[in-house]
Amino acid sequence: MTSPAWQFEIHPSSGVPIYRQLMDQVRALIASGRLSPGDLLPSVRQLAEDLEVNMMTVSKAYGRLEADGVLERDRGVGMRVKAASVNGSVSQRQKELLPEAERLANRAWQLQLTDEQTLSVVKSALKERPKS
Amino acid sequence: MTSPVIDIQGVTKRFGSTDVLCGVDWQIQKGSVVGLVGTNGAGKSTLIKCLLGLLKPTAGHIRILGEDPWTLSAAAKERLGYVPQTVQLYPWMTVDQITRYVGAFYQNWDAAWVSTLIDRWQLPRNHRVGPLSQGQLQKLALVLAIGHRPDLLVLDEPVASLDPVARREFLRSLLELTGDNQHTVLFSTHITSDLERVASHVAMLREGRIAMFDELDVMKDRVKRLRIAATQDLPTSFAVRGAIRTQVEGRNALVAVADLDDSLVGELQSAWQADVAVEDLNLEDIFLELHHE
Repeated sequence: MTSPAWQFEIHPSSGVPIYRQLMDQVRALIASGRLSPGDLLPSVRQLAEDLEVNMMTVSKAYGRLEADGVLERDRGVGMRVKAASVNGSVSQRQKELLPEAERLANRAWQLQLTDEQTLSVVKSALKERPKS
Repeated sequence: MTSPVIDIQGVTKRFGSTDVLCGVDWQIQKGSVVGLVGTNGAGKSTLIKCLLGLLKPTAGHIRILGEDPWTLSAAAKERLGYVPQTVQLYPWMTVDQITRYVGAFYQNWDAAWVSTLIDRWQLPRNHRVGPLSQGQLQKLALVLAIGHRPDLLVLDEPVASLDPVARREFLRSLLELTGDNQHTVLFSTHITSDLERVASHVAMLREGRIAMFDELDVMKDRVKRLRIAATQDLPTSFAVRGAIRTQVEGRNALVAVADLDDSLVGELQSAWQADVAVEDLNLEDIFLELHHE
C-alpha cells in the first residue's frame, strides 16, 4: 500500500526545518501503526508537488530516514518502511529509553503521583502494545 | 566543483557620499534557489542591479554565468531572466502580442508552457497591457521572464503585489522550473514565509554586507535562542560565544546564537548553575534577531 501524501502536514514557517518535520511525521506514522513495514511512501516528486516544497527537501528527509534505518530503498519502486530491527544488548536498549523515562518521571513529580501510581500508568500503556 | 553561477568579490557601490554596498562577497552555486532578504533600503535592488550590469559597482568584481555583467554577451543574456521591482511593458500591446514579441527574442522559448502559465494565472489574452493592475502586470512580467526557462532567473521583490493565490501559483511555477536542479534562482523579498517553502539557501543583507548566507535548513538547525535562568544574578558583562544578541535582566538572559553546538548548553548549565531552554527560530525570527538594536 502506498501512503497518500495528504497524511503529511508541514508548517514552512516553523523554526523546525521542513525536512525534520517530515522525518518526525514518518516516525510518528510508523509508531501509531498507520504505516506498517513494507508500506511504500509517496515518491519524492509526488510529495514535493503535493506539499509545494523543494524536491531537495523531501529527498533529504528520505535520505536521513534511510540512514537511520527507518526506511529502505526499493530500487526502481521507491522508499518502503523498514521492518523494525533491534540492535544492541538489553542494557544498551534500556539506556536508549532513559531520556523518555526521565521526562516521564519529571512530569509524574509535577502531577504529585507516587511511584506506584506512575508505574501503573506505564503498565497500562504497555498493555496496549502488540506483544512481539 | 564547477564555477559558481554568480561570483561577487569585494563589491562596493557608492551614491554621492553614501556607501550602499560596502564589500559584498558572495558566491551562488548552480541549482540553488536563493532568497535575498534585507530591510527596506538595505541595498537589495542595488546589489541585483550591479550583478545584472544595470549599475556599475564603485569597486570590486562580479561574474555571472562566467562573464562580466557590464559587458554581458547576447549568448549569456539568452540564459538570463529578470523581473525588476517596477514592471514596465509596452502598454499598447495585448497580452498575447507582447508574449509573442518577447518570445521572438529567444531561441528556446517554450510557447506551450507559457500558454499554460497564462491560463493558470488567468491573464486576459486579448486585453491591452496598459490597463492591467499592478498584480497582473507582475504576473505577466514573470511569465515573460521564465518563458525561455532561463539558467539564471533574478527577481526583485517578485511577490510584493501578488495576492495569496497568485503567490502560491508563482511558487509552484518556480518549483517546476527548478525541479531538475539545473536552474538557479535569486530573488529578493521581505516576505520571509514565501522563502521558507521554496528556497534552498537564504542570504541576509545588512549594512551593505552579506551578514549571513547558508542553506535554509542549516540556518534553522544552527541559529537558536537560549532562555537562561541562573540561580544568581548574571553580570552585565555576561557573554555567550557566537551570540548575535544578548539581553540580561537579573538572573535571566535571552541570547540568540549563530551556531548552537552540542557543548554550549552544557557549559552554560555548569558555569552558571542555570536552566537553559533552547528555542527554535523561523526565518522571520532569525531576521529580527539579526536586526535587533
